[in-house]
Amino acid sequence: MDNKPQIKRETKNKIRVEFERTSLKERLKAKYLSTYFLTNVVWYVFRLLLLIGIAFVVLKPFYTMIIRSFMAARDFTDSTVVNVPRHFSAIIYKAIIVDLQYFKVFFQTLAFSLSCALLQTFSCCLIGYGIAKFKFRGAKLIFFMVVLTLAIPHGTMQSAIYYRFQHMDILGILTFLSGGAQSGIGWLDAILSKIKILPFPQGISTIRTIIPILLMSATGLAFKNGLFIFMLRQFFRGVPDELEESAYLDGANTFRTFVQVILPLSIPMMITVFLFAFCWQWTDDFYIPLFFTGDRPAFMTYLPSLTQIPATLTNAYAKETGSSSAYKQAIQYGCGLMCCTPLILLYLFCQRYLVEGIERSGLVG
Amino acid sequence: MTNQVKAPAKKKKKIASLDRTKARAGWLFVLPFVIGLVLIYIPIIYESIRYSFSNYTVANGVVTKTFVGWKNYSDALFGTADFTQTLLTGLQEMVFDIPAILIFSLFVAVILNQKMVGRAAFRAIFFLPVVISTGVMESVMSTSFNNSDASMDLGAEENATQKLESTMALEQLLASIFTNLGFGVGLVQYIANAVASISNIINRSGVQILIFLAGLQSVSPAIYESCQIDGATSWETFWKITFPMVSPMILVNAVYTIIDSFTTDSNTVMQVINKMYSNAVDGAKHISAAMGWMYFLVVLLIVGLVAAVFSAYVFYQRRD
Repeated sequence: MDNKPQIKRETKNKIRVEFERTSLKERLKAKYLSTYFLTNVVWYVFRLLLLIGIAFVVLKPFYTMIIRSFMAARDFTDSTVVNVPRHFSAIIYKAIIVDLQYFKVFFQTLAFSLSCALLQTFSCCLIGYGIAKFKFRGAKLIFFMVVLTLAIPHGTMQSAIYYRFQHMDILGILTFLSGGAQSGIGWLDAILSKIKILPFPQGISTIRTIIPILLMSATGLAFKNGLFIFMLRQFFRGVPDELEESAYLDGANTFRTFVQVILPLSIPMMITVFLFAFCWQWTDDFYIPLFFTGDRPAFMTYLPSLTQIPATLTNAYAKETGSSSAYKQAIQYGCGLMCCTPLILLYLFCQRYLVEGIERSGLVG
Repeated sequence: MTNQVKAPAKKKKKIASLDRTKARAGWLFVLPFVIGLVLIYIPIIYESIRYSFSNYTVANGVVTKTFVGWKNYSDALFGTADFTQTLLTGLQEMVFDIPAILIFSLFVAVILNQKMVGRAAFRAIFFLPVVISTGVMESVMSTSFNNSDASMDLGAEENATQKLESTMALEQLLASIFTNLGFGVGLVQYIANAVASISNIINRSGVQILIFLAGLQSVSPAIYESCQIDGATSWETFWKITFPMVSPMILVNAVYTIIDSFTTDSNTVMQVINKMYSNAVDGAKHISAAMGWMYFLVVLLIVGLVAAVFSAYVFYQRRD
């Protein structure tokens, strides 16, 4: 068949082209029945299903927690109620807010976590910048120590951490000046115990105050700060040296360069670190129980303690539900949700920076 | 007499070279950490190690310290029944978990790096566990979802067995599929286990996905373009370009995963150590410290081994 387009001249300025077009069916066939298109569709569907599946696995616990915490007590004795409650009740939340003084606890935890997270972010920035950009003897050793602080589980050192902050001291100077130093040699001890300049023979106890956690935050030793320092170091290594050099030429000293040139650049990364620090401090259940043994002082209630169950609820519902374990768990869900809702809100607000900060960090190497 | 002009003695003062000023500035920046190290961290480590070698007894508020040598260590190894056993199973778990987490997070990172509808939403969801499932939330959620959706309902036991059966069925189904495809039994078992503990793996791979994503973002699109022009399929592109380019990330992630998985409280060995610590028996805290240090050494050894093996295969792009 002759498929050549035929050109006819209709008028002076108009031509008409006549050709046999490939039929619609053929065209569609060519477009949609190719292997390329099919693999793309299959991959697209597969990917979407997979992502939805994973998102489901992540979100399912939250769904269950929300649903369970809103169920009325009698739904727990009803075995037909599984995923959708039949009777709604907000009594758990009422108990948390009223009995456990949620808002008071919330603001205290907020103030505490905020100050800790800010301290951690700032000190980790300083340390990370120092390791990344300056060549000095011992830089490698310090970096190694940073990794080491990350690697030694804090759990194994609980008693040592407690002991250290119970007998807080500056290189033994305080105990020395107060006559508490012991050398193990009789006559020397006799002389040492005569020194009574300061009244702290056992060091200063900082237990049951917020000093230990603030100190650890300020020195980059708090929970997972090694990771932050590592992330920031990688980030700062990616910042071109020319920026600092031009700042030096303009007469800025190193610290001013850091504050006015480097920090504004690294805001996404700092937000990432701040987000981590804040959330991990917020849900911390290691240091606060460690340093605040026994009954907590009134100013230091903290949010994770909300996971203890309000007494009014257990008493009231133990009889109504018979086996209270399911209900107890629901109460814990309620507490957990109240604990992490602020974090989720913060996360939704900041998550854009999270990815951006990590992307720009150029963590390679 | 002479035209010699003596330079004033003052100006002979030594001027520090640029390198030395910079070195000083460097020390100034890391000063907080150094102070923390000297005042807090090193004494803590020293105390903890000494603690594991001695026995403290408190009588009438007076602490007496006695050095007992390796006794706490031998007690931990041979005196308590479950430590060695748990250590071994813990290491086994680690051997299982780490490749699973690494493969999963790389896979998800590659997918999340592609352009598609709702990518931002998926990213937001996937990183949610990083910020939420820690500390207290970890324990709240693990009490509920490990011993299961089951215990909430009335027929707790019935439900538990049902759940067990359903996962067993899934595992068996998978196992039969893969065995028929001709995979080895070990691999089949591995995949079946991975599927069964998928939620655990997902919850633990948030940071790793982030790190991989960062690595993927830093690969220049020009390389992919030229690859496409040369006619490489996406499978080839992945293995020839993406994989080598993110291999440094694999090293970082492997180390991070090992450290992270053995320092979390949900780790079985850590649970034994913590249980020992909260034990009221005399000397239990010392044994717990001894256990902790042994565990730390073992894991340090593993980290070193993994780092050595991986770094032999890591590809670093030369950037000039």
